[in-house]
Amino acid sequence: MIDVAFRRISQWLDEPVSTLRIEIVRVLAPPIVLAFMSARIAHVGEWIGDAGFRVPDLGDDWRQPLYVPALPMWAADTIGVLMVASGLAVMLGVRTRPSALVFAATLAFVALSDRLAAFTVSKLSPAIILAVALSPAGSRLGIDAYWKRRHGGKRPKKLKPVGATRFLQLLPVVMYSASGIAKARGDWLSVPLVLWSQLHSSLQTPIAFALATVLPAWTWTLFQGLVLAFEVFAPLWFGLRRTRPFALVFGLGMHAMIGLMFGPVIWFALLMMTLLVAGYLPERFLVPVEAVVKRWEKKPAAKKATVE
Amino acid sequence: MRRFGRILVRVLAVVYFAGVWLDGIGTTIDSKLLPRAVVYFFQVSALFPLAARATIDYRAEGWVCSEKRWAELDTTPYFPIDTHSKENRFNRVMHFARENHKVMAALDEYLVHQHNTGSSDDDIARDKPIGGVRLMSLRIPIPEVGSHIERFSQRPLADYPEDQRKRFYYTPRSKRAERCGVRVETVE
Repeated sequence: MIDVAFRRISQWLDEPVSTLRIEIVRVLAPPIVLAFMSARIAHVGEWIGDAGFRVPDLGDDWRQPLYVPALPMWAADTIGVLMVASGLAVMLGVRTRPSALVFAATLAFVALSDRLAAFTVSKLSPAIILAVALSPAGSRLGIDAYWKRRHGGKRPKKLKPVGATRFLQLLPVVMYSASGIAKARGDWLSVPLVLWSQLHSSLQTPIAFALATVLPAWTWTLFQGLVLAFEVFAPLWFGLRRTRPFALVFGLGMHAMIGLMFGPVIWFALLMMTLLVAGYLPERFLVPVEAVVKRWEKKPAAKKATVE
Repeated sequence: MRRFGRILVRVLAVVYFAGVWLDGIGTTIDSKLLPRAVVYFFQVSALFPLAARATIDYRAEGWVCSEKRWAELDTTPYFPIDTHSKENRFNRVMHFARENHKVMAALDEYLVHQHNTGSSDDDIARDKPIGGVRLMSLRIPIPEVGSHIERFSQRPLADYPEDQRKRFYYTPRSKRAERCGVRVETVE
């Protein structure tokens, strides 16, 4: 039984998938992460440098995962520049894998250095970018791919086993499942207006305020029930072929609403939407993208033939 | 070697997923087995599990030496990232460490130093040194569904009734007196 399950998981991991999926993450995730980081980078001295408030070394306190002293300004500026440059390089496909390693390292460092300005995007992004670094991302699209083809390189494969794509497909499902259980163990089954209670903080946007004003109470309880069911049973919704497209649409809708209603949470919402699109967009929607990429891949070769 | 690398990456992925899932559902197994700096990166899934009991906003007051009174101190010039939202670092340090005296004392030092060096406009005149701070949360009630609701805004502290203020930290009298250069008995 265990043997069969292990073999099936291995087969699934080694099954060829469209390499465009990892390219979607490679192109979209860095600008989203950098946009989230931009407010911090603009005040890099306060953030990780010695120009702002630093929580002192708390020793064995759970609130401090690791004490990282404030950096001198030149070092803080260097980290900021490295983060932006490596993030842009990943997005453009320039030395993609080493750039992704540098980007992931800077993201992990700033997440540990300042817990006060670290949120879910800060903790999640190093894992996502590390997955990009361990994948063939950048081999089909991007500046390096373009130059390689111009210099007579082989056309990269459309389909191949990509463990990183599988990792990024599983990541939102694992998160939803844990989040759903946390919610069920928290107030979501006993308090009917949990969602309503979250609408009034400083994260409130004009859209959240408008919806809070016009929607009747029962709609908030309905949304709460739908979100809870979606998250708790996410492995089922995304695991079954028939429910997968509906799960994708629901997940995108849920994150779109979160992004529109809770101001700064928009970057988290966009990052999750990127993972959902890259991981679960049905193949038929990738076909037109594939056709465009194929045309782009042919161009340099045609030019070379003309010159010869 | 390549096969070994592939197995290693898969094992790390399984550990990561197990960590994210276990941490999310509220177990502490992961924190018993792995360093805190690693477990920290697993803390991505337990989002909004509880209902908000009130809308929380954190505020500071400074003890104005010359006037012998507390006055609201705007902390945003000294915490310029994400001002006016609860993702601001001042709000975050209050959220995580309001009951940790060491952190509050460090925050006290920082705010007093920043004001007294006169680097920014913080609603207390630059030429009026402060001797300490009083740090608090505002606990604004969540409105009933269907009742009149107002858009969230950060109004002056004086607009909030006393019963919505919960004070966590005062600079001790002796310290305020020392910083103001006066005798302790003259400080409230």
